[in-house]
Amino acid sequence: MTAAALFQSALASLPEIVVITGACILLILGQLVRKGQEHVFVWASVAVVLIAALGTLMLASEVRPAYTGMFVADGFAVFFKFVFYLATVLTFFLSRKYADIEGIESSEYYVLLLFALSGMMIMASATDLLSLYVGLELMVLCTYVLTGFLRREPRSNEAALKYVILGAVSTAIFLYGVSLVYGLTGTTQLDGMTAAVTGDRLDPGLLLAVVFIVAGLVFKVGAVPFHMWVPDVYEGAPTTITAFMSVGPKAAGFAAILRVFLNPLVAASDAWVVVAVIAVATMALGSFVALVQDNFKRLLAYSSIAHAGFAIFGVVAGGADGIASVMLYLLIYSLMNLGIFGIVIMMRNGDFSGEIIEEYAGFARSHPGLALLMLLYLFSLAGIPPTAGFFAKFYVLVALVERGFVMLAVIAVLLSAVAAYFYIRIVMVIYMREPRRVFDPALTPLVRATLAFTAVGTLGIGLFPERFLRLAQGAVFGG
Amino acid sequence: MGLPLLSLIVFTPAAGAVFLMFLRSEDVVRWTALGVAVLDLTLCIAMLAGFDTTTHEMQFTERHPWVPSLGITYALGIDGISALFVFLTALLGWICVLASWVAIESKVKEFMVSLLVMQALMLGVFSALDLFLFYVCWEAMLIPMYLIIGVWGGDGRVYAAFKFFLYTLAGSLLFLIGVIVLYFHGGRTFDILALTGQDLPFWIQSWLFFAFLIAFAVKVPMVPVHTWLPDAHVQAPTAGSIILAGVLLKMGAYGFLRFSLPILPEASIYYSTLMLALSALAIVYGGLLALAQDDLKKLVAYSSISHMGFVTLGIFALNLRGLQGGILQMFNHGVTTGALFLFVGLIYERTHTRSIADYGGLMKVAPIYTAFLALFTLSSMALPGTNSFIGELLVLSGGFAANLAAGAAAVVGALLSAAYLLGMYRRVALGPASIGARFKIRDVNAREMAAILPLAVFVLWVGLYPKPFLNIIDVSVKHLLAHVHTTGSGQ
Repeated sequence: MTAAALFQSALASLPEIVVITGACILLILGQLVRKGQEHVFVWASVAVVLIAALGTLMLASEVRPAYTGMFVADGFAVFFKFVFYLATVLTFFLSRKYADIEGIESSEYYVLLLFALSGMMIMASATDLLSLYVGLELMVLCTYVLTGFLRREPRSNEAALKYVILGAVSTAIFLYGVSLVYGLTGTTQLDGMTAAVTGDRLDPGLLLAVVFIVAGLVFKVGAVPFHMWVPDVYEGAPTTITAFMSVGPKAAGFAAILRVFLNPLVAASDAWVVVAVIAVATMALGSFVALVQDNFKRLLAYSSIAHAGFAIFGVVAGGADGIASVMLYLLIYSLMNLGIFGIVIMMRNGDFSGEIIEEYAGFARSHPGLALLMLLYLFSLAGIPPTAGFFAKFYVLVALVERGFVMLAVIAVLLSAVAAYFYIRIVMVIYMREPRRVFDPALTPLVRATLAFTAVGTLGIGLFPERFLRLAQGAVFGG
Repeated sequence: MGLPLLSLIVFTPAAGAVFLMFLRSEDVVRWTALGVAVLDLTLCIAMLAGFDTTTHEMQFTERHPWVPSLGITYALGIDGISALFVFLTALLGWICVLASWVAIESKVKEFMVSLLVMQALMLGVFSALDLFLFYVCWEAMLIPMYLIIGVWGGDGRVYAAFKFFLYTLAGSLLFLIGVIVLYFHGGRTFDILALTGQDLPFWIQSWLFFAFLIAFAVKVPMVPVHTWLPDAHVQAPTAGSIILAGVLLKMGAYGFLRFSLPILPEASIYYSTLMLALSALAIVYGGLLALAQDDLKKLVAYSSISHMGFVTLGIFALNLRGLQGGILQMFNHGVTTGALFLFVGLIYERTHTRSIADYGGLMKVAPIYTAFLALFTLSSMALPGTNSFIGELLVLSGGFAANLAAGAAAVVGALLSAAYLLGMYRRVALGPASIGARFKIRDVNAREMAAILPLAVFVLWVGLYPKPFLNIIDVSVKHLLAHVHTTGSGQ
């Protein structure tokens, strides 16, 4: 690689470099900061992310391939990176008070989140199965540790262990698929794969490879049949990490899926049938099992499975509108899900866990404003207009119908009617039950800011979706 | 048209709702809500005054791009059919505020906010010229209505609210798919007028017809998807029942008029016999169920199913008198049944029982109440001189012209309604004054009269001189009918 090419590559990956360098500096800084000064980490981490975001924005003007075709900074990656920045910054905001309450004092918490962020960014930019793998591993290794961060809690340990073992298996499956692809085509570059196939595109070997890769990626977004880890891990992890995992790594998983799936080779292999089955099964399982959950975090885990299913419908639709619909869905899902998780996190105070749905009885009586926010997030998750959640689903359905998959669209909406039940059940508990206890939410200015931001996003995108729709479409068409 | 009158009408209650959130005193909240409702009604009267009854074109139209990349616009406009319902919604809006004045004791502010938001969305439905906008308003209504039933309703409110929510949601979602299919087959637009001009192949029309039918049938509600209605009505507070019966049920029928008939004319003609059969079933079955009720609210609720059967019967008779009658009957049903629910609410506030068996001899203790109750009962069973008589007569004559059996079933339904309504009135108002011994009953007060009188005026006005009302809808109905028969006659 010449010096000029190296410079170009470094420039294209500048945001990643910023985040990783920042994380390393924070790691060292963590040894110097005295106890009680942990808020320094929050602001320093936010600053790192903001600098990276600024860099991303400045580089967004053109498509920059880098590292001999393993990496690209294009509109698609920029869109996803902003979703990741959003998820990470809001997680930092939500974490400060929660970390105090749960007794998380170490700076590694923030450093690991930054490393996870850099992994997700690499995934969004990867154009080679190997760079994709590097990003993926960087991300999941950090989330393994973060899941087990409540060392004194058996639940947290169990979740981390489960996550590590299952995650390792899925990674191995993915890697095996990659090796098959390399063996059959002699390349791991996404663009090169199609060109390298000379004979039958439906070669059983290739199909097998695709199935393995699909399985590995689908695990990361928690789709059926690789969803088993989601409820346990979500329940056991610190709630802030659950919130982060439900949006950040999930969006990263979708970024990878979209890059891989929209490859002509995969498109030609009729993999969409498999994906459609996965989408239906995922949505059905997530929606139906969520109906019987009493634990808020488990319910949100199944809800997140169901939402992943709905987003996969967008992958099935494919095409420019299909991709854009998935991207918009993930952006909106990040906002509303971080909003509802923000409420759950805020409720964790004193002896109150905030995890049992029934404990929210009469919440609207004592905190009408916060209850109204919950109402907004929940109806948005259920997909009722004029919230953003409705527009997200609407656009996926448009993409499906455009491709002629009307039956799939019908299945999707019927399952989302099932899903609506458990969201409005929570509304019922907070609005229609008598309060049994006094609520004392841990409302810090940062938590308030997060809730306000997500609320404005949830309602704002619902009422004025045009700009965001254009952003998503531009990221696909322009990139 | 410089002044965006329709936007004003739609957004006045919404702005009022936002304003209410900042108020503290409950009395100020009540008066402000009333003020907003009156202002909205005034705007509607101004709209009717400027309404041109000689054209079927959409009037007071406004268009602004909303989501241009998907061809979605913020488009409002009304023709004769919608004008009537915009007015009805605003009229019932102010009656709902009055009906909730003392009936709602807790969380008054939240209730009034829900009520005003509800009103804004209903007005949005009736004046939307863009399918997406229509759907957003149509579906968003679930949120305030769910809260109105679930928070301020009776003992079984939670179950009723769930049932209402899920039935309507499941129906509407298929409608949404239908809308998207229509979008792609109709030239990638959500503009209702542009879609009306499309000549869709019959198989798509059929498909869409049933997708729409499920959504509209749940709202109307038609048998067999009517079971949410008695639950919702019985549990809802009085204002909720008035909105449900007065406006929400009309939206299903309005959907037939605005989408099924003009956009899917071939399918509408082809499946009209099926629709007539379903309507006849609703008329007779709803009437029989009403006959068997002991709960006042349930009786009125089941009678609604029967009466809405008349509406759909009139619409799918697909002739002039049927359509005119159906639309007029929608308006009448809103006025009359709204009033009946108001009356049930008034007496319930005083006695806290809705069981007919607990009443009797009400005439002695509350003569004004029973006198007006008589008027609305007679109106509900379509006695000559009242509003429903005109509507039912038109429906019957249209129905007989379309299908003898359906017309005959409607006559049976009319007989049944006389039976259960007269029976109800006899057991509640006449006979020895058993009720006075157990309850302290006072007659209606001035505030309640303010809610009752406008409705009574409309009962008699439409009954004695229906011409102005028929005038409003006349040209639009004729145009609609001509459109259906010319574009749909290919079948």
